[in-house]
Amino acid sequence: MNAAWALLWKDLVTEWRSRDRLVAMVVFSFLVVVVFQFAWPPMEAGEMTRFAPGVLWVTYLFAAVIGLGRTFALELENDAMTALALAPGTRGWLFLGKAGATWVLITAVQAMTAFVFALFFRVDLMTGVVGFATLVAVANVGICSIGTLLSAMSVRSRFREVLLPVLLIPTLIPILTSAVVGTTATLAGEGLPFAALQPLIVIDGVYLILSFLLFDFVLDE
Amino acid sequence: MAAPHSAPDPADSIQRSLRVLGWLLVLLSPAYAWAVITAPIDRVQGVMQKILYVHPPLAYGAYLGFVVTAVAGGLFLWRQQAVHDQLAIAGAEVGTLFCTLMLITGPIWARGAWGPGNWWVWDPRLTLTLLLWFVYLAYLLLRSFTEGDERAARLASIYGILGVALIPLNYWIIDLAGGRAQHPENIEQGSLGAGMGMPFLVGNLTLFFAFAYLLVLRWRVGLLQNALAEAEAEADRGPQRAA
Amino acid sequence: MTPVRLRGEGVAKRFGRVTALRGIDFEIEPGEAVAILGANGAGKSTLLRIFAGLSRPSEGRFEAIREVGLAEREGGANGSADLARPDLRGAVGYVGHATLLYGELTARENLAFAARLQGADASPARLDGLLAELGLQDFSSRRTGTFSRGMAQRLAIARAIVHEPSVLLLDEPFTGLDAGSAERLSSQLSGLRARGRTLIVVTHDPQRGVELADRALVLDRGLLVAHVARQARPGAEDVPFAAEALQALLARFAQSVGSTGSVGVDSADAGGSGA
Repeated sequence: MNAAWALLWKDLVTEWRSRDRLVAMVVFSFLVVVVFQFAWPPMEAGEMTRFAPGVLWVTYLFAAVIGLGRTFALELENDAMTALALAPGTRGWLFLGKAGATWVLITAVQAMTAFVFALFFRVDLMTGVVGFATLVAVANVGICSIGTLLSAMSVRSRFREVLLPVLLIPTLIPILTSAVVGTTATLAGEGLPFAALQPLIVIDGVYLILSFLLFDFVLDE
Repeated sequence: MAAPHSAPDPADSIQRSLRVLGWLLVLLSPAYAWAVITAPIDRVQGVMQKILYVHPPLAYGAYLGFVVTAVAGGLFLWRQQAVHDQLAIAGAEVGTLFCTLMLITGPIWARGAWGPGNWWVWDPRLTLTLLLWFVYLAYLLLRSFTEGDERAARLASIYGILGVALIPLNYWIIDLAGGRAQHPENIEQGSLGAGMGMPFLVGNLTLFFAFAYLLVLRWRVGLLQNALAEAEAEADRGPQRAA
Repeated sequence: MTPVRLRGEGVAKRFGRVTALRGIDFEIEPGEAVAILGANGAGKSTLLRIFAGLSRPSEGRFEAIREVGLAEREGGANGSADLARPDLRGAVGYVGHATLLYGELTARENLAFAARLQGADASPARLDGLLAELGLQDFSSRRTGTFSRGMAQRLAIARAIVHEPSVLLLDEPFTGLDAGSAERLSSQLSGLRARGRTLIVVTHDPQRGVELADRALVLDRGLLVAHVARQARPGAEDVPFAAEALQALLARFAQSVGSTGSVGVDSADAGGSGA
């Protein structure tokens, strides 16, 4: 378990020093928001509220795919993947460390994106912001767990940029639907959107457990 | 000389089951065709309603296919025998076929049941089948895009297990997001009127055995290809001085 | 650092078209130094990865037995639960072709990370000591992305021994090193071995193999075709454990087409191939 913290720390430190995933995800998210802005006809302030949850979560999802794609790319340099594979004990802990680091990264990026989104689309995201933040935090656990597993699986392939989204997106759809339902609720002023949080927690549980157990096989050669 | 290495050769039992299944299909198919043709034409939906005898029975193949893939994958992870991996491939390919057919017949039925403009409905079962289809596709792409036969087999086994957990999960979620089933009448629960029970039963049986037959056939082909590849590799290696 | 014995019977690794190993028998005692020789594609790296706990054999029995008075079974045969492999990984140190280092981190940070990953003591004092042992004390705060090949190789070794493994596995460690660095590496390895570690080196250079090891396993296309030892057995016709003789042996197998005559190789006692 110590190894999990070591990996989490290592990832955050390397990320901080090179900032490569962070920059990629932030720039991409902003671009998507801007593209949506141009794609939609001009709207009055607040008119966009109806579509905001969907647009926002689609943006989040795509940015997450970008970030997750790079999770293990760094490990391929100098074959650090083998170093991970050599760690004794349960390999599932390594998975947790990696997923945790990605969670921190993705949550930070999503916070920034939300800010820009609210600005451009003139949607008041501060309504129910606590509920929204909780929703984001919980949904990200699911995204990061299954995403980390699938990222490790696709990293050695020549086609990893295509393969990861293809593998990942079907698994993210249940998270997407629940998150959008929840965001609609929080924007309407509801406190904590339990109707959405409940399925998300179940999904998170399933994805976390499965990924933890299956990660061992991914590291084998 | 290389000793035979995999699990006891399943070739004989496979041959036998193929023969049995084949005969079953030969007997059932004309019965099926006859039952569908002579089934009463629904007053409300017309001839199109007869898709009832095709679309739901396809579900066996579509869903069972994935279960086979997942279980075979699990066996492979445990035992590392290529024979299990071949079964997983067979399950995925045949399953994809049945799933695709479901996605084709589904809209045809929807159009028939609800008139023009209703080629697609967000019926829970159909939505789930669409998702399953994407998971199948992902599985097949994972296999083609992964370098190294053994790695492909291993990773595909993992994804198969993931996928099989995904199905009930999504079923539950889709049910929860119940707002999607806009139509008061769920396609799948149309009541079976008089004279519809028999063709429905025959349809279920026939398509189930069709799935089983194709599965075993594809498995056999895979095993033969494997054996051929191994023999070729053996020959390529050339005479070797063993102790 | 408890001694570990590695034993294998009919160890094979194959899938469909690809057969890396075909029925290898071996036994490696704690503290031995063994070289694994063979042409490219002979299966040397595959065998090493099995030793490291990175791969499972697809057939046969592979055991890693920790000797602490009682022999505790650590490894398992094909098909049984891999509980043992997680522990085996903690008992071996692996140095591969690549350095396994993170360019963005400093030498000390890399070593600290490796230590924590392996569950070993990561105190700065100990790490600095280890770096000093390998002559890297002046570079401990430099990012490893700037290291030369020789320096990176040394750090890779430090990484591999940070958790005091009893078995050290090296895959072609001399590749890409100039003569000076190679000499240094050779003496470092001898030093490591002197402390009771088992040393297993994969190399295609018989010269180095003879320098470092007492015996050699010679692989050819997945089979163990020769088992050469420094200690000639009475009565047996052994290939002398000398670089030139081994070179000739390897060349013979590289030519590959049916040499049916006896080469006078002592392959009887290892059980040779499993076929």
